[in-house]
Amino acid sequence: MSNISGDGTLTPGEFRVAAFAFAVRWKSSVSAFPPWSWLSPPKHPWLSNEVDGYLALENVCLLDSSEENHAGRCTGLEDPNCSGDDEPIDDATLVQSCRDDFRYYDFHVIYDSSYRVPVLYFRAYSGDGRTLLLSEFEGDLPADSSEALVKSKWTFITQETFYHGLQEHPYLNRPWYKLHPCGTSECMKLLFQSDTSIRATSGAAELYLLSWFSVVGRMVGLSIPYQMMKCENDT
Amino acid sequence: MADASEKKPILQFAPFQSVVDEGFWHRLSSLKLNKLGIDDSPVPISGFYAPCSHAQVSNHLTLLSESLPTEASEQAACTSSVSLGNRNKCSVPGTIYNTNTLEGYHALDKQSLLKAEAKKIWDDIHSGKALEDSAALSRFLIISFADLKKWNFYYWFAFPALVLEPAATLVGIKPASQWLSPEEAEYLSAACREWRNSNLTADVPFFLVSIASDSSATIRHLKDWEACKGNGHKLLFGFYDPCHLPHNPGWPLRNYLTLIFIKWNIRRIHFLCYRENRGFADMGLSLVGEALISVPEVWKDLNSVPNAVGWEYNMGKKGSKCVNLAKAMDPTKLAIAAADLNLKLMRWRALPSLDLNVLSATKCLLLGAGTLGCQVARMLMAWGVRKITLVDSGKVAMSNPLRQSLYTLNDCLNGGEFKAISAVKNLKLIFPAVEVEGVVMAIPMPGHPVPSEQEESVLNDCRRLHDLINSHDVVFLLTDTRESRWLPTLFSAASSKITITAALGFDSFLVMRHGAGPFSTSNNLKTQTLSGPPESMDTASLSDNNCLQRLGCYFCNDVVAPIDSTANRTLDQQCTVTRPGLAPIASALAVELLVGILHHPLGIYAEGEHANAKISANYEQPLGILPHQIRGSLPQFSQITLVGHSSRSCTACSETVVSEYQDRGMEFVLQAINHPTYLEDLTGLTDLMKSASSFDVDWDKDDDDDDFVEM
Repeated sequence: MSNISGDGTLTPGEFRVAAFAFAVRWKSSVSAFPPWSWLSPPKHPWLSNEVDGYLALENVCLLDSSEENHAGRCTGLEDPNCSGDDEPIDDATLVQSCRDDFRYYDFHVIYDSSYRVPVLYFRAYSGDGRTLLLSEFEGDLPADSSEALVKSKWTFITQETFYHGLQEHPYLNRPWYKLHPCGTSECMKLLFQSDTSIRATSGAAELYLLSWFSVVGRMVGLSIPYQMMKCENDT
Repeated sequence: MADASEKKPILQFAPFQSVVDEGFWHRLSSLKLNKLGIDDSPVPISGFYAPCSHAQVSNHLTLLSESLPTEASEQAACTSSVSLGNRNKCSVPGTIYNTNTLEGYHALDKQSLLKAEAKKIWDDIHSGKALEDSAALSRFLIISFADLKKWNFYYWFAFPALVLEPAATLVGIKPASQWLSPEEAEYLSAACREWRNSNLTADVPFFLVSIASDSSATIRHLKDWEACKGNGHKLLFGFYDPCHLPHNPGWPLRNYLTLIFIKWNIRRIHFLCYRENRGFADMGLSLVGEALISVPEVWKDLNSVPNAVGWEYNMGKKGSKCVNLAKAMDPTKLAIAAADLNLKLMRWRALPSLDLNVLSATKCLLLGAGTLGCQVARMLMAWGVRKITLVDSGKVAMSNPLRQSLYTLNDCLNGGEFKAISAVKNLKLIFPAVEVEGVVMAIPMPGHPVPSEQEESVLNDCRRLHDLINSHDVVFLLTDTRESRWLPTLFSAASSKITITAALGFDSFLVMRHGAGPFSTSNNLKTQTLSGPPESMDTASLSDNNCLQRLGCYFCNDVVAPIDSTANRTLDQQCTVTRPGLAPIASALAVELLVGILHHPLGIYAEGEHANAKISANYEQPLGILPHQIRGSLPQFSQITLVGHSSRSCTACSETVVSEYQDRGMEFVLQAINHPTYLEDLTGLTDLMKSASSFDVDWDKDDDDDDFVEM
């Protein structure tokens, strides 16, 4: 239990506390998505061990509705030189004309020790494991994430960052998208300034991630249900 | 019994579906490159799956980076991550056959591979090993070919299933919530939750469920079979079912049925397809079914392994898959994305109006690939300029790499590579996406007379230079002599190209942009030749009287025409020695100046601004002021900005000279090259000097000799 500093940042310890609190609350009030889990990757000696893991929400599945995409992908996938006509026909195998046109999303919330704020990393991939480019999945993102926020203070952490392209995931060392953290502490400061009572409350760190995610989650189509915010007020 | 079963439908299993995470291909690529080499023997791997958790989507068997054995260096760090029981990552043993060629991939005997894998399952069942480690029942194999040049990965999974002959028949199958009583469902859910939440059992995919008459449910390991049998309890054979379909069990049940039949000789089998929703047992999605097995004749012989099937379907038919990961793995593409990111980050806050498209589309011609040229090229790339041409006639000498940042000792060997060639090669090493060309060519210079037999080749060079300047948007003058800047200045003035000069003395430098040519047309500019003293020039440029003057070029302030400046010099003067910090400073300023011009609404016509002057215009440039000339001095660590307007007597950009060139073309050029005083006579400088009214603008004392430079 801790109250957080007024500059909109978190210590590594606060991040961990906030992450666990967030995951618990999510599990009890969000029914549309699977729960978050805390992943502790193997330690590397040269990485700071301030935070021993990150929050992950993986394999969130969406059906690909665009036929165009579907058609485009099929052609590239098959290897015409290698078909399996040499295996006997087996009655016990259910042959499905399966729709494999799903998109999967992975979301990671990782502590950035330079900016001292949480950062949302995410990626989308298709059924064949290929990571999708933003242009291929931006149709899935809420239309208002670019539209409604253009005029707001959040513009610079949202719309612009979407075009920032793939960044190296700090634990996986592979390219992921991320919402750049350089506006985060300012936003959080504003959020918490507007209600000084929150900051003084014990447990403000727990609230931090919830407030933060209520902003960035929208960008990637993960809205925090009102229920989740509400039960905070009840406590 | 046989009659009854004939009427029943065959129990059909939904095949396993695979998905390979990019991380797997990353790890495989590095394993192949760093460790395996051409060794193509099979490698044991782990796949991961979990119970279905989505009403419309089956779960996949997933390969992740940790599916592969780690390279020795990481061994210690990574072993713990897999072994911990992770409820969403039940580990399944597998084997990868990664071939060295696509031909080898196609030539693999897939039936034998499948059979070999099926035999392992068969043996594990008979030996009882499958009871201890039940995941071995879902053993799989994958064949692959990794084309690391194009980042194409060809692969095909097989999930070997021992074929029951005749096939098992289905008595009935329905949601567990219907098959069980509400109390039983509740007890079972609770038992499953416990099983799934314990690190010891969460990743054990096959289990026994016994439901007592009081509805209480117990889950046990397969090896604890003895405890379940014969106590009158309802017995369900449970497994984590990746399949979501409402009437079919998933693939893992196939070998499970075989195990049940072989080990315990049960022919009427009740099975539980365990499925989840949000981490909890979903009794509506989970299925309970009843299957009948007839005795397969061949199975009496332990040594004859039953037939096996299981090559994965792709788009509804059997076939191999191919995925291209160039976007995520090709270092060139990653470098482009990363380079763009840095620039976009600048745009985001500091410079919202930064126009990256303009920068990346601008074609820059760099005359000279020495200290200045190397550094300017680097700076241009850093700003996102992607189209660069370097012109130089020299070769990389042993002394060059220390100061000329694009070269290394390798470029000096065997007499040295041409700078224009080496620079191109090394720029591409720095950033593979740069579109860079090198031209090995000397720039013809006035005052360096040409013997008549070389005339034609010199004229060819002139035409070539002319064409190069016309085909680019920006010209950088980065050569080591004053006179080599004359011809390009003339050509640039004639076609009004943005031109930037950087020149070095021993410890001082000049960086300037040339004004537009005398015949350029701009609504914003009224060409007016110079006629007043320096003071009035500045007033004119700052007053908003719409009578803006052209800015000067490198030669505008000179009272002598360019001549051979190296002829009477000692060695230390020829190989001009400059303080090493000078060239990087000047080069950086030259490029920053260009970025300023490209972002100025008036571009080449923008008037020169002073560092200390208030900018009169209404707009405020985010990049700051746009000076005409910057002169810096290292001894003073000082830098000043200056404005100098075009001179009517300029030997390179005046109306007289440009129109003479336009009328007479190469003939004029040749005359200027061969006759040292011709330009001075033409422009009236000769007369001017005679009348002793010198034409000193700004910083006269430096103009004569200090700008000679090493390249």
